[in-house]
Amino acid sequence: MIFNSIPFAVFFAIFFMLYWMVFNKNLRLQNLLILAGSYFFYGWWNWRFLSLLIVSSLLNFYLGIWIAKTENEKKRKLLLYIGILQGLAGLIFFKYYNFFITSFAEAFSVFNMQVNVTTLQLILPLGISFYTFRTISYLLDVDKNKIKPTTDWVVFFSFVSFFPGLISGPIDKAKLLIPQLEKIRVFNNAQVTDGMRQILWGLFKKIVVADNCADIANQIFDNYLNLPASSLLLGALFYTLQLYADFSGYSDMALGFARLLGFNITKNFNFPFFAQNIADYWRRWHMSLTAWLTEYVFTPLSIKFRDYGKTGLAMAIIINFTICGIWHGANWTYILFGFLHGCYFIPLIIKGTMNKKVKKEKITMLPSLKELRNILATFILVMLTNIVFRADSIAHAADYFKHIFSMSVFSYPLFTNRISALTALVFSVIMLLVEWLQRDKEHALQFNEIKIVPWFRWGIYYVIGLIILWFGGTQDTFIYFQF
Amino acid sequence: MERNEVLNQLNNIYNDILDAEGIALTDATTADQVDGWDSLTHIELVVAIEKHFKCRFSSKEIQSWNNVGEMVDSILSKS
Repeated sequence: MIFNSIPFAVFFAIFFMLYWMVFNKNLRLQNLLILAGSYFFYGWWNWRFLSLLIVSSLLNFYLGIWIAKTENEKKRKLLLYIGILQGLAGLIFFKYYNFFITSFAEAFSVFNMQVNVTTLQLILPLGISFYTFRTISYLLDVDKNKIKPTTDWVVFFSFVSFFPGLISGPIDKAKLLIPQLEKIRVFNNAQVTDGMRQILWGLFKKIVVADNCADIANQIFDNYLNLPASSLLLGALFYTLQLYADFSGYSDMALGFARLLGFNITKNFNFPFFAQNIADYWRRWHMSLTAWLTEYVFTPLSIKFRDYGKTGLAMAIIINFTICGIWHGANWTYILFGFLHGCYFIPLIIKGTMNKKVKKEKITMLPSLKELRNILATFILVMLTNIVFRADSIAHAADYFKHIFSMSVFSYPLFTNRISALTALVFSVIMLLVEWLQRDKEHALQFNEIKIVPWFRWGIYYVIGLIILWFGGTQDTFIYFQF
Repeated sequence: MERNEVLNQLNNIYNDILDAEGIALTDATTADQVDGWDSLTHIELVVAIEKHFKCRFSSKEIQSWNNVGEMVDSILSKS
């Protein structure tokens, strides 16, 4: 179910009422409802793959308990590797099988050898990249004694399939979500209102900004051979805005729905376009994935390579981000995307400023000239690399770039529909402006109720609601469903 | 070597690597309590600590530290 759909609205309305009015007396019942709701939510898409989710939860539940009980180091590691392998095997099979065998065949064809391969008609199980990373992090944390394994299967199964974050994250760490599942949730008016505001903002970003930008970006990318370079640059811009609004909008909704159920799940975005360098950007974009990779990939690698100074650090970063790229999917474009982002850290590593977070200064209205320069430079770098992310293949990306580096970059961009391009742009600017003003808050619509009079607050809600109804675009799914 | 002595020397290392001035570490200090100490600076700190105290930690040891106190324990165990 997609968050912005009628079936989900009906489902959640019923769920919400049952959760707080019928099942709220008892922790076990409350958790069972979450589990049932999550499986209904997932099964609505495909009940067959629900069995994969359940089997994975079952296996990792027992592995967690066994790992903690096992004193013998070798046996412990064996159990750990079984769990990690199980998760990765499922992920690799469904996501990368076709990619591997076609790349394999292509490699052979370079030597004029024909290898017949049959690609399988594989559907990617929804959310597998996300829930697999949850279970792997759980086992690793149990092994390192960072958390105790849970012996309550309802809690664990709910942790793995928690429906607000099931389809496209955030990738919650067990130590953040499991303790919340082990305590009964009490209705908190302020928390629920805050959740609703975050959902509203997420809806705005997805339906108004993302879907409208998508229209323009798709037109430009589909027609890039016939458009001037200036249009192609705008295509990259609109796609970047679309990607952000889509994914952060989804994440805002996920966090909002979780808050409506009394949970605080991990933040996934912290206004990445205000980053002043690439390290800062990744600390603000898809934060839960960055945190996961940092803890389980980058840190062990950087420790291993610490004797090689800056070169070692650079290698660790590049490997880390290449894996980040691969995580997104089975295409060389994603691998290149990740690799490039890793390389962008090199100047920072050499200068030694990678670590120096931008010092927290007083929140001023406007950025300083230096800050603005950094923000724009980072944004442009990200925007251009997103062309690789979006392209169907490396050749497609290369061709797109070739067309950008032509004299027509100075000519007027062409649009089939100027009005819709303007709409997309205007609302993108509004989105960025509101988020800039609220950049020190948890989300763009978080405010202290006491400071804003009711009629103004409700005015804002109505205006946003109307904007969604009038200007909403019509893209069916969220981009990150495909990952 | 005494614990306090180790903590003092760690303070100097941290101030140097993190480009700060008044860091005052205690046994209970964790990374999120120190400005600039994150997964990226962590490895720089580890390398500087190993160099200063002339010791070598295993990967497992480094990843097991939950606070400065446990780091100090590891340092003392090597001397």
